[in-house]
Amino acid sequence: MTPRSHDRGEVRIALAQIATCPAQLGHNLERHLEMLDRARAVGAQLVVFPELSLSGYVVAHGVLEMAMRADDPRLAPLFAASREIALLVGLPLREPDGRISNAALLLEGNELRGVHRKLYLSAHGRFDERRWFMPGPRLQPLECSLGRFGVLIGEDAWHLSSALHLAQAGAEALLIMAGTPTELDAGNTPAGGRRWQHLVATTAITTVQPVLLADRCGWEEGILFGGCSGGVDALGRPLTTITSFFEEALVTVSYSRADTVFARSLQPAPCLERLELGRSTLERGHA
Amino acid sequence: MRELPAINLTLVSEALQGFLSEELRASGQKRYVLGLSGGLDSALAAALAVRALGPERLEAVALPGPTSSAASLEHARLVAEKLQVRLEVVDLAETGRLAAATLGIGEDRLRFGNLMARLRMVALFDRARRSGALVLGASNKSEILLGYSTLFGDSAASVQVLGDVWKTHVFQLGLALGLPREVVDKPPTADLWPGQTDAGEMGFDYLEADPVLYWHHEGGMNDEALVAAGFAEPLVTAVLRAYRRNRFKWRPTVIARVSSSCINVDRFLPRNPR
Repeated sequence: MTPRSHDRGEVRIALAQIATCPAQLGHNLERHLEMLDRARAVGAQLVVFPELSLSGYVVAHGVLEMAMRADDPRLAPLFAASREIALLVGLPLREPDGRISNAALLLEGNELRGVHRKLYLSAHGRFDERRWFMPGPRLQPLECSLGRFGVLIGEDAWHLSSALHLAQAGAEALLIMAGTPTELDAGNTPAGGRRWQHLVATTAITTVQPVLLADRCGWEEGILFGGCSGGVDALGRPLTTITSFFEEALVTVSYSRADTVFARSLQPAPCLERLELGRSTLERGHA
Repeated sequence: MRELPAINLTLVSEALQGFLSEELRASGQKRYVLGLSGGLDSALAAALAVRALGPERLEAVALPGPTSSAASLEHARLVAEKLQVRLEVVDLAETGRLAAATLGIGEDRLRFGNLMARLRMVALFDRARRSGALVLGASNKSEILLGYSTLFGDSAASVQVLGDVWKTHVFQLGLALGLPREVVDKPPTADLWPGQTDAGEMGFDYLEADPVLYWHHEGGMNDEALVAAGFAEPLVTAVLRAYRRNRFKWRPTVIARVSSSCINVDRFLPRNPR
């Protein structure tokens, strides 16, 4: 198998569970470059970083200092690294009109291949993202030489229609970038991580696509993040075992395109989704 | 009767150790300074810091005052020995007496207690400056919610590692981390005058108060719902009275906002930019 070909074989993606620090760009960038080195060493083709991986998550008005355009020179080390390995990085993206998006950039071959802007900004509990960011305007798969991926950031994935739309738009797998503040209860794993595991598996089963989650870990400004990076195949079967919630980890996930295609042949559920029902239900509701 | 939900002690302990490591790294400071009172809260904070960073990155200070019990210093030494941390004893007895006389505090125990708590704060922040350290606080969630602390005294710290941990769970963590039984089992006290205990002052103990606090603060149950759920009405009244009366201590300083860039109102910024 040639690693970068559009074959029906194995796709190897590394999920970089890093502990970022808000407003410490040098520290965060170092975490990225180390993970990219490690990912190359294990033969990964693409590295997915968590939500706002470059700035840290609890950055608040720090976005004013941390937001950057896609051509910001501070991104140069990541563009350079993308000559060797594709990567999906999270950052506050400065838009031409001055507004700021919570965004994911897909870099490959020293080029920007695509951008996803978070659609559903979290604004409940301790979240206040609508205060710092503007919501993304559209949802479409991102493409690079490795394939066509659905990319979602955090709460995007909690709106089940997001994954469905991406599956119907031809995404071969769903990549979720998250930064999940968690609480600890009586369970053996952080509560936030357990919710993600249910959601990831449910999303995969109902949209028949592999779903991979890159989550951050550690502490920011007294907020605990319980990393639960991992992935499931198109039937919702775990492809990884979560072993480290609080520590950084490079989680390597491989899935088979052939297995995904076979699963979709048997369970063409997303292709059969009748989106017009939603519209007609809403219209009846208003009648 | 509704109970306080259990926690996974291993996971919480591991997470709090990570917090202590990251706060130190992010701040660029070298170590923590902690007032080791001989009580459970500070012993647990010390144990977590030692597990996270090793004994050489914790500077423990015992700060006895003129009315502190002798057992407190003994227990502080016991904990320091157990954790193999260096313990500095800074005797605040004379300073406390002098300051009390200067301020004309007389026999007012509450004023004197607050004075001693604040003198300890002064000593700890001085040691922090001397050593390039952060002051590690040991206030737990129960006492913060009940306001059982001295503003700018024991509540003043750079980080509060136990500030979101109920006292009930502090007892359990203390046992799980192998702290001396005499420290875990003794009645909680601020040790501000002879015979003082938290329960004696508040009229209830933490094990009784915690479920009431939890189901009100986190579960959204009001006084009537708590009594209907089986909690004794006098307990509910006393706990929620303290909870409401001391809420100002949660956010000790309020800035008068007269611009559109008021600190922590209009501008929230990360604490350790670099």
